[in-house]
Amino acid sequence: MINCFEARQEFPAFWRRDLPAERRAALVSHLAGCAKCDRAFRNFAVGAPLLHSVGEPPERPAAERQSTREARARRSAGVVRGEFVPRRGLAMSAAAMVLIAASLAAYFSVTTPVDTLNDELSNDPIATQLLGSDLYTSSEDLAG
Amino acid sequence: MLGLASSRKTAWRLAVRTDEELITEILNGETAAFSELAARHRPRVERLCQRFFSDPEITRDLAQECFIRAYTALATYRREMPFAGWLRAIATNLCYDELRRRRRRPEDLVADFTAPAVQWMNLVNEATPEEIVAAAEERREAYDLAHRLLDSLRAEDRTVLILRDTEELNVSEIAEIMGWSEAKVKIRAFRARQALRKQADRMRAAGKRERLS
Repeated sequence: MINCFEARQEFPAFWRRDLPAERRAALVSHLAGCAKCDRAFRNFAVGAPLLHSVGEPPERPAAERQSTREARARRSAGVVRGEFVPRRGLAMSAAAMVLIAASLAAYFSVTTPVDTLNDELSNDPIATQLLGSDLYTSSEDLAG
Repeated sequence: MLGLASSRKTAWRLAVRTDEELITEILNGETAAFSELAARHRPRVERLCQRFFSDPEITRDLAQECFIRAYTALATYRREMPFAGWLRAIATNLCYDELRRRRRRPEDLVADFTAPAVQWMNLVNEATPEEIVAAAEERREAYDLAHRLLDSLRAEDRTVLILRDTEELNVSEIAEIMGWSEAKVKIRAFRARQALRKQADRMRAAGKRERLS
């Protein structure tokens, strides 16, 4: 008989089929009689194909490989032809740029005086001579 | 006759040049020797990358990047440690950085199980331990679900588990590779196992629910 601690220590070797027959039988018998260790083994089995298997990962089924290849080929073909290929990252970047541009536009529209140009032109003697003083009223006139 | 024996002996000597001999040649300017060195270690490096990422393109790219970094930093390689261990440290740090760069999505853990994935979860829930071990070797979905399970962990936790369980490194070796303290490695390993158990429970419960619905 083995205790729970010993049983759990044996999980990786059991998974790799490295346990001698005697210890293997002892572990199986312990798991059959101990609900906690049985549950621990089943949880262990979910991650073990990646963490405790020594060989290469099993091949993907042929149909799945084919569909992945086709999807990749379709995506590449779209790029070659210049078609739009939806990409999540690209969409997020575009949305962020639009947001930044809108924020900048809003900021400058609030902080920049609308009639700065009017003021400059009305104070410029050459511009006044060319365009006439009454065409460009100053911001002070507007405020008044 | 003697000439043939001598040429065979030379060929054999060339065929079994050690890592150290190849490195010396590369550092002396015979850069072509690096391809032999890379070919020798590539399967092991790719296998390590496969523990971090399921996408073969990502694992190939990371393995390639690992050899580029090894080549450019070869002059800094210290002979007292095995070359394979040095490569493993480079590959692990590359994979760790890539894991951190990619945001994980924990909500994906139990969503959208395929029919084979549900079958595998039911087998894990109901079959005998020996049946589970036998079936896991042939089922790709077992491997994919294990990846999904590890995707739900933090990058540090996943890295510690991979180094501990698949590379069978001890705490001080992991600490040296990652540049962490031994206490941090122990804490991360403990937390990683806790999280792994919890998430595996969730996945098995989701498998049961899928079957009922």
